[in-house]
Amino acid sequence: MMIQAQGLRKTFTTRSRKGTQTVEAVRGVDLDVAEGEIFGVLGPNGAGKTTTIRMLSTLIAPDAGTATIAGHDLLKEPAAVRRELGYVSQAGGVEDTTSPRAQIMMAARIHAMADPKRAAAEVLERFDLTEMADRPGRTLSGGQKRRVAIAIGLVHSPPLLFLDEPTTGLDPQNRANLWDRIRQLRDSGTSVLLSTHYLDEADALCDRLVIIDHGQVVAEGTPGELKREVSGDVITLRVDEPERAAGTLKPYARETRVDEDVLRVYVDDGEHALPALLRALEEQGLGLSSIALDRSTLDDVFLAKTGRTLRDAGAAT
Amino acid sequence: MIRHTVLFTGYELKKSFSNPIWPLFGILQPVLYLLMFAPLLKSLTPGGTTEDALRMFTPASMMMIAVFGSLFSGFGLISELRNGSLERYAVSPAWRPAIVLGRVAKDMVVLVCQAILVLIVAMLMGVRIGAVELVLVLLLMAATGLFASGLSQGLALTVRDENGMSQTLNLFMLPIMLLAGLFIPIAYAPDWMKFLAPINPLYHAVEAGRSLFAGRLGDASIPIAFTLFIVLAVLTTIWSMRSLRRIAG
Repeated sequence: MMIQAQGLRKTFTTRSRKGTQTVEAVRGVDLDVAEGEIFGVLGPNGAGKTTTIRMLSTLIAPDAGTATIAGHDLLKEPAAVRRELGYVSQAGGVEDTTSPRAQIMMAARIHAMADPKRAAAEVLERFDLTEMADRPGRTLSGGQKRRVAIAIGLVHSPPLLFLDEPTTGLDPQNRANLWDRIRQLRDSGTSVLLSTHYLDEADALCDRLVIIDHGQVVAEGTPGELKREVSGDVITLRVDEPERAAGTLKPYARETRVDEDVLRVYVDDGEHALPALLRALEEQGLGLSSIALDRSTLDDVFLAKTGRTLRDAGAAT
Repeated sequence: MIRHTVLFTGYELKKSFSNPIWPLFGILQPVLYLLMFAPLLKSLTPGGTTEDALRMFTPASMMMIAVFGSLFSGFGLISELRNGSLERYAVSPAWRPAIVLGRVAKDMVVLVCQAILVLIVAMLMGVRIGAVELVLVLLLMAATGLFASGLSQGLALTVRDENGMSQTLNLFMLPIMLLAGLFIPIAYAPDWMKFLAPINPLYHAVEAGRSLFAGRLGDASIPIAFTLFIVLAVLTTIWSMRSLRRIAG
């Protein structure tokens, strides 16, 4: 196991003129990350993803809980833990005035590598950064900066890499490119723990993931397992009387869910269930304005576990 | 520990001199003061010559660059706090205090360069100073700068906002500058200012600097200033290193 964490907790206290406020950012999170896997922490903004990563990377001390990272105790041997990991924060940490090469070489020197120059050249080459290696950081594009940030975190070939929201703010092309690079990391044996609030990212990239909400793990598994748990397909209907329609369709579905004027019906085999559903609605005289059939997504998992869609949860915070 | 401090010092220096125009501007400022302000002081000094005025103003201008040059260096930390690079260093195996100490040491190197330039200009303009006094002036300046740089890094890590930081600095700078007798010696000040001036640490540094330039090695102001600034420098440096712990456990 690369990471074994039990019962991580963190409460922040903020003092202001209005008095002290406490925010329970993380409320008992357990994580197990195997060697060489891409492990995702999926959740809306404010769910406690970054706090979890910051605790696991020795930046902040947990209020409670224990963790072993790459064989070292997080609380007792933070220095040993730091040697084993690469950390790429949401902000990235690329400096404006110095060049990517200088920053990467500095990181290599901090890790006391034998040949910082060569190590920097190699990682620059690997991330297609050789061309802009000697330009000041501020002249790089968003996608290039991301790659530099990851290159800095990887120069010492750590067995474990933390990526906090790695593709936030990137255009689709850069995002797909970065996904490929993260997959290559797994192929070279690096374990990756990444946080994201993008469903498609978690689905496409992660071997296993946890979904967290309000500082707690609400689901854990492979993307496939999680989606199967909810059911294979989801049929989204706009009907005149969603509540009555839900009652009508209940016998055909594993689960139905009404969300304002939208009715979601979860079924195992959408293509074959659809004709029967339509017939049932017609028999009851329920008017239908639109219908859509989709494979269920991690958002359906999130909805099933928390009663909200990930988009709504993100907007509320 | 020392390896990491040297590493960060070198990195910060390289960063400062990657665009040499900015440090050059910083170095020019005290020289301009000497060239343009010292002549104004001529009528205020007892001897009434440019050399007398320079003897009074050169130590003051050196302390001024020591304090006010270093006080602004914390701004760099705020931008690194924001772009995440400080956090990145905090997760690395780097010895944590080295992250701040490297910056403080860089400030010292820049200060010594500036001091030497000021001294060269002052000497060209006719100021003479003995070798022992010269070394002591440089050391005192380094201690003053260390204090200011430590204060600046600590303040930056506490305030964490450029706007708040510049307002805080502005609030304190003017009274500290005037109460130190930087431009016009406190001897000309009213009694209440004379009474307040010794509370201001910079006053002692300027007094000691003037004693050194006047060749009065036995003056009590010299040991007072050294003791004061070594203690203050140690305190602010420790504070700045501890402030780092607040952003990273």
